Amino acid sequence: MDSFDLSLLAPEITGAHAQFPGALEACADLGALNRLKGAYTGREGSFSAQLMERLKAAPKDQKRELGVVINALKSEWESALKARQAQLEAARKAGGSASSAWDATLPPPIPPAGALHPLNRLMARLVEVFRPLGYHVEEGPEVETEEHNFDGLNIPEDHSARGTADTFYLAGHAHLLLRTHTSPVQVRVLKRLAPELEKKGGIRFLAPGRVYRKDEIDPTHSPMFHQVEGMLVGKGIGMHHLKGTLAYAMKALFGEGADVRFRPSYFPFVEPGCEMDVRCPLCSGAGCRVCKGSGWVEILGAGLIHPNVLRFAGIDPAIWSGFAFGMGVERTAMMVSQTPDLRLFFENDQRFLKLMGGLD
Amino acid sequence: MLVSLKALQRELPALTKPSLKDLCETIASLGFPIDGVEQGPAGAVLEVDVTPNRGDVMSHRGLARDLAAKLDEDLSAVELDPLEEGEALVPVRLEAEACPIYATAILALGALQATPPDVRAFLSALGSSPKDLAAVDASNELLHRYGHPTHAFDADKVQGGLAVRWAREGEKVVTLDGIERMLTIQDLVIADESGPIALAGLMGGESTKVTAETRRVLLESAWFEPRVVRAMARRHGLHTDASHRFGRGADPGMVRIARDLLAARLKQWAWASLEGAWTEGHMLPLRPAITLTKELLQRIAGEPLPLEDAAVKLRHLGCGVEENHVALHAVPPSWRHDLAIPEDLAEEVLRLRGYDLISSALPPMKSDPEPLSVGYRQRLGLSRRLAALGFHQTVTLGFISPEADARFADTSAEGRTLGNALSYEYSVMRSSLLPSLQHIAENNLRQGAREVRLFEIAPTFRSTSEGPLERATLAIVWAGETGGRDPLTPQGPIHPAALQGVLAYLGAEGQVRALEGGLLAAEVDLASIRGELGRVIPTYQGFSRFPAMERDLSLVLPFMVPFGQLAQAIRSALADAPLQTLTCVDIYRGKGLPEGCQAWLLRLVFLGERTLTGAEVDGWVASALRAAKSLGAELRG
Repeated sequence: MDSFDLSLLAPEITGAHAQFPGALEACADLGALNRLKGAYTGREGSFSAQLMERLKAAPKDQKRELGVVINALKSEWESALKARQAQLEAARKAGGSASSAWDATLPPPIPPAGALHPLNRLMARLVEVFRPLGYHVEEGPEVETEEHNFDGLNIPEDHSARGTADTFYLAGHAHLLLRTHTSPVQVRVLKRLAPELEKKGGIRFLAPGRVYRKDEIDPTHSPMFHQVEGMLVGKGIGMHHLKGTLAYAMKALFGEGADVRFRPSYFPFVEPGCEMDVRCPLCSGAGCRVCKGSGWVEILGAGLIHPNVLRFAGIDPAIWSGFAFGMGVERTAMMVSQTPDLRLFFENDQRFLKLMGGLD
Repeated sequence: MLVSLKALQRELPALTKPSLKDLCETIASLGFPIDGVEQGPAGAVLEVDVTPNRGDVMSHRGLARDLAAKLDEDLSAVELDPLEEGEALVPVRLEAEACPIYATAILALGALQATPPDVRAFLSALGSSPKDLAAVDASNELLHRYGHPTHAFDADKVQGGLAVRWAREGEKVVTLDGIERMLTIQDLVIADESGPIALAGLMGGESTKVTAETRRVLLESAWFEPRVVRAMARRHGLHTDASHRFGRGADPGMVRIARDLLAARLKQWAWASLEGAWTEGHMLPLRPAITLTKELLQRIAGEPLPLEDAAVKLRHLGCGVEENHVALHAVPPSWRHDLAIPEDLAEEVLRLRGYDLISSALPPMKSDPEPLSVGYRQRLGLSRRLAALGFHQTVTLGFISPEADARFADTSAEGRTLGNALSYEYSVMRSSLLPSLQHIAENNLRQGAREVRLFEIAPTFRSTSEGPLERATLAIVWAGETGGRDPLTPQGPIHPAALQGVLAYLGAEGQVRALEGGLLAAEVDLASIRGELGRVIPTYQGFSRFPAMERDLSLVLPFMVPFGQLAQAIRSALADAPLQTLTCVDIYRGKGLPEGCQAWLLRLVFLGERTLTGAEVDGWVASALRAAKSLGAELRG
């Protein structure tokens, strides 16, 4: 506007013109813009109207010069108002309305995520760990027979585990019980497989599942818990194969630093039997609360399949051999997560499930 | 089992060399983890976890024997002064095969008796308080030190001859703990003329108890069948130091030795004099040799191990071994009842060699791998989809109370009920997951959760004549208020249709049910969920690449006309038109409508195998409108 001679105009007009850009910018919505429009370019009482009256009253020789200045001024106001209006309308369209325009500093809403149960998540993970070794999943019923749960696993007839103090039995079906381990799946699979074992050349599988023992509910016990059983049958299978398999699995589960060590132990359905410790996954063996300073944590029981177990299923132990292992899922989950109380897994508080479960 | 370090070192002097930590590791490496170490007035006491197959390790001598074999060191000698046996002073009849050998002696005690301080300290360290009765304390010490339980009767209280026999129906005995025990014909007892005076292998009787007044003692050192002792201990709920050892298998070779050691202690501690010693029955024969081939040992160990080395290890353990270049033949010692098959011998060889030395290799993949089962993948897939929809997977117990079960049961709880449940509350194998999920949802709401979204996949049980039949089941519970956590999703109640939508998305047919407290729930049999689980991707259906034409139709209809009827009328009117979808995108029931009416905003999408013209689409929409009008619809202005 500097190219125009504003000195021809009244001081209130030049003042209004100086304030115009600021006032225009301050219009946050179309209402405010309309009010500003009225004040500058309205038909009556606006600065434009005042200017038109000034032009009318001006001496003839000044009219031409004054007209140019006034027209320039008016069209500048109008085009600026128009541009601002477009701007505000676009903003309204984008944000729905000025009041719901998204504040970029607000955290965006994360879709509500649920979670797999940590115990199921760990079991699914173990299945994943063993898939590359060719293990598939075998499952069996939770209500089992004594034959599958005990007889087929070389568990003596007078073993205390068979007693009603340790095992739940069904009323009215004396031979039926709630399986006390996932090992009856071994018996079922071996029996099913026996006739075609030679053709198949062996088998390997995992059996994750729920098991029951007559324990009261306390921070380390539950009458229902989970195990993951693994079994391999082939020819010429030895303790080194068991060790190699489990060493691989622990590295896949806990990372490269996961060394394992075997200790002799006893389970009726394996011979030789062992327990396996893994280098404490929390302190990498330096010693911590979880491994009680030893650098090792017990993780599972295992061994070579007892010849009686193979014989029971109709498989000749002189030809076939194999190994089996079984992991307590709760125990491992508690160890890796440092969950202080077993009951948390069965309480199913959504806050716990959200924190511990995740989606994988 | 508690083990006094000092007493262990007395049996195996070489154990004074390693540090306590190293010793504990060595013991653990033999298969006996150390559960704890306590420092007491008599030195360190170790809590050693002995596996149930190793009754022979349940003493200081027994553990030392395994350590001696492992470390290739010698056990200290047992100071033994064998008693000269003579005629039976009291007749002893062995009437049951469960007791093949029974050694005894009668000694007259001196006027004074005192248990030596080191023995008192030893017993105290093991939590067994000394009684200051020589016969009792000595018997106790022998049990912990050598593992063979013995018993002393007050000889003057024994009436007539002794018999080891099965109890008769109706007989009773008051055991040393003061409890009167009703006996059955499966109870093995020591009896005199008055009847049973002791439960064999478990506990002596009150009537022949040794007291400070006892002047003559009759010693018992015998071997009882482990099965019989285990059954008796269970039946009477009487688990004693003696029953633990006899129940796991005592050493028949220790029968006479333990009696002699007990007598020797009484002579020393109570100035006792021997009246006579004798033994009824016979030592159990040694078991036949077990053959371990070089081939089997190599298969189990994963590498060839020299049979000579294996023989040395087995001899260390007390086996009589002969070997040649293909196999070894080992006769297990009298204390190793657990050694029965070649694999047992292989385990012993590896155990003494150290499991650490077992090499590590993946087994050859000779058999074909198998795919994951459809059922497993279905459960995992459903779980992941539900979790992605905001639902949390729960794990709840398989048994519930009969009342909770009855609320959702479709079969009688009979046949699904436990005979020995933990409690009434956990006595029925559930026929539905909903009682458990409802309980969990209510707990979560009580804990302040605004919205609860839960699901569980687990078996449910139906009663059949053969027993409970299991079905893999999915249950979902949705409760509380949804939304309201961010500016974009307004808070509101959860509509049953939303849960119905979840079921439809999963391909599940199921009814949404409203439970108390505004909980919405659904339960479906997994077998009923359709899906192309067997296929990686579904069959190709074909789709049109021409542009779809979309038309909205706003109709006012009486309430009595449901959407289904309206949609059907329109679909049949457009049977020949390429109508791809007909959906309801909004329902209006507010002001401005005629009384008893609602407004439907329908969206019709047409898609053909060519570009559709506006005129033909307008024609179809007009047909749709005519069909709607036949049901009383008006176009909404």
